[in-house]
Amino acid sequence: MRIPAAAAAVLALLGAPSALSPAHSQDVVRAVRVARGAATAGAWREGQVIVAFRAATEPREIERALREAGGRDARRSRSASRFLVTLDPGASVPEAVERLARMPEVAYAEPNGLVRRTQAATLKPDDRYYRYQWNFDQMNAERTWGIQKGKTSVAVAVLDSGVAYEDYTDPRTGQSFRKAPDWGSTSFLPGYDFVNGDAHPNDDEYHGTHVASTIAEATNNGIGVAGLAFGCAIMPVKVLDQDGEGTFFDVAEGIDYAVEYSEGGTKPVKVVNLSLGSEGFSQTVKNAIDRAFSGGVLVVAAAGNSGKGVVEFPANQPNVLAVGALDARKERASYSNTGADLDFVAPGGNCDRDDNVDGLGDCVFQQMPDPDFVEIGRHDQFCYCGLDGTSMATPHVAAAAALLFSQGFTDPAAVRASLEQTAQRLGGAPAEGRNDTYGFGLVRPAAALPGLGLNVGPKP
Amino acid sequence: MTTHARALLAASALLALAAPPAGAGEIAIEAQAGYFQMAASNSASALFGSSGGGTFGGAVRYTFWRGAFVSAGARTFSKEGERVFVTGVSGPVQKLGFPLSIRLTPIFATVGYRFRNGKTIVPYAAVGGSITSYKEESDVAGEAFDDDRSKAGFLGAAGVEVGRGTFRFGAEAGYSAVPDALGLGGISKVYGDDDLGGTYVIGKLIVAF
Repeated sequence: MRIPAAAAAVLALLGAPSALSPAHSQDVVRAVRVARGAATAGAWREGQVIVAFRAATEPREIERALREAGGRDARRSRSASRFLVTLDPGASVPEAVERLARMPEVAYAEPNGLVRRTQAATLKPDDRYYRYQWNFDQMNAERTWGIQKGKTSVAVAVLDSGVAYEDYTDPRTGQSFRKAPDWGSTSFLPGYDFVNGDAHPNDDEYHGTHVASTIAEATNNGIGVAGLAFGCAIMPVKVLDQDGEGTFFDVAEGIDYAVEYSEGGTKPVKVVNLSLGSEGFSQTVKNAIDRAFSGGVLVVAAAGNSGKGVVEFPANQPNVLAVGALDARKERASYSNTGADLDFVAPGGNCDRDDNVDGLGDCVFQQMPDPDFVEIGRHDQFCYCGLDGTSMATPHVAAAAALLFSQGFTDPAAVRASLEQTAQRLGGAPAEGRNDTYGFGLVRPAAALPGLGLNVGPKP
Repeated sequence: MTTHARALLAASALLALAAPPAGAGEIAIEAQAGYFQMAASNSASALFGSSGGGTFGGAVRYTFWRGAFVSAGARTFSKEGERVFVTGVSGPVQKLGFPLSIRLTPIFATVGYRFRNGKTIVPYAAVGGSITSYKEESDVAGEAFDDDRSKAGFLGAAGVEVGRGTFRFGAEAGYSAVPDALGLGGISKVYGDDDLGGTYVIGKLIVAF
């Protein structure tokens, strides 16, 4: 049932495209995967022992000692009287070391221990147009992926215009929808279309697919671009129509649907992304958000694109993370709303600028249905297109939250507190505080993921 | 108990009772093992699941005048757990899976008094100071989150020593305080824990000369 039109405040779509710039570079980005720094303390190369002899030891005595210790072969160091001894097959390293150490001519003997580089793990994905994702560089995404890529057991519900997640022909309208090309192995939970009242929340616009792709577009698969929490699942929930408008009732329905969805006794949706807003207020939506928060689900919403000094609804609610937009200079995007309710900023872009001088406007680039084809009613053609807006900033924070849930966080209040404490303060905000322009600052998942030690907190 | 163990125990008891009583100029070496309970119990419980554990070490004691003695030694205590996040004292502990270990090594010196010096059962009390070495190590995907510092503190202890010979046994309980060593960051800052000390109960095997 719909509420009367007069009473229904209209939810305006945020982040209408100010530029659509398909990327056509042929450049290949080299993939570099750095091994995770697993501890190797106590580990050694099997079958090898290092032994050093006292200065006056005769070669004949050395040969005898090595043979008695089970040595099959020995390589002498070029600069000292030490040997790398290869033991007979099956010989025990500790026993050989013990035997050698007991010999009077041996100065010392030890296993040939293993070392590793101490570089922090990162992932530089090989997605073809990844080089245009300045937004992920701003988020320190490569280090983030070195720590956590997301788990399929954690899902983000994207309440939007739908998501191009399946090949489907609507029997009522005859419209054909295609799955976007760069979903790879991204998991989708069964969603719902609250606009048309069916279980196929496909995207008859492009906004929702773009937002969902920022969260979980397939990454390091050689095509397209990357998503920040690409290991997490997406639940597509359609609450906006093809013009990017929806109602409070449908938004509340969508939140409740996502929060209550259960699979095998567990509730996988941990984050709800609302790249939408209104200048009105709805008790219905507020109640749904509060239920979500108390049920362990974090709601993230866009602050608004009017450049005003007030955060829109529902982002301005206490149990919602309100997200403003940064441009490529890491400054507030001119359209991004500010105010006392602003919590964070994240890359939202400004397609009118090219501050990173890559030849393209500083949009956020993701896969989405090609707007030129959407305009003529086709939903089977796609592009890697750029959009800007607080709509684009919001999924960065939703993805960061999803990564924290994947790491082991269970409490939305803890996720919020962790993101607050580790955000990069901007615009002169105090170290333990916020300001109205940037909130607590730029979300830094790589700083939040490590959590706390006994006496060591997050790194600055 | 095996026959050998019984024989060893009997021999030790005989030595303890038969040997001359402790007097001025006596030197004793102690091996110590027992249980240490961290004062930063909230922080430790969140990280390690418990705030106590085994401790061991040793000390040298010199009784220089009647029952007065000086002692110096060291003990060590370590715990292993995982990194966490908490919003506050009442907030749920979010376990994050990154391994974390700590090691405390207090080096201490005390002065004390043995109340019935020379008797079979000798109660004693001591106070002193300590330098505690604290090491915290954690690796998050190749990035180290380590802390290594030493901090001064003080301690008080009371115990009892049983036996009068070369080999004796003892038990001691004590409290050590190492203020301002924690609370600089991490969960100890959230919980307001700043003391690296705690309480301990140890058993002693003593060899006196």
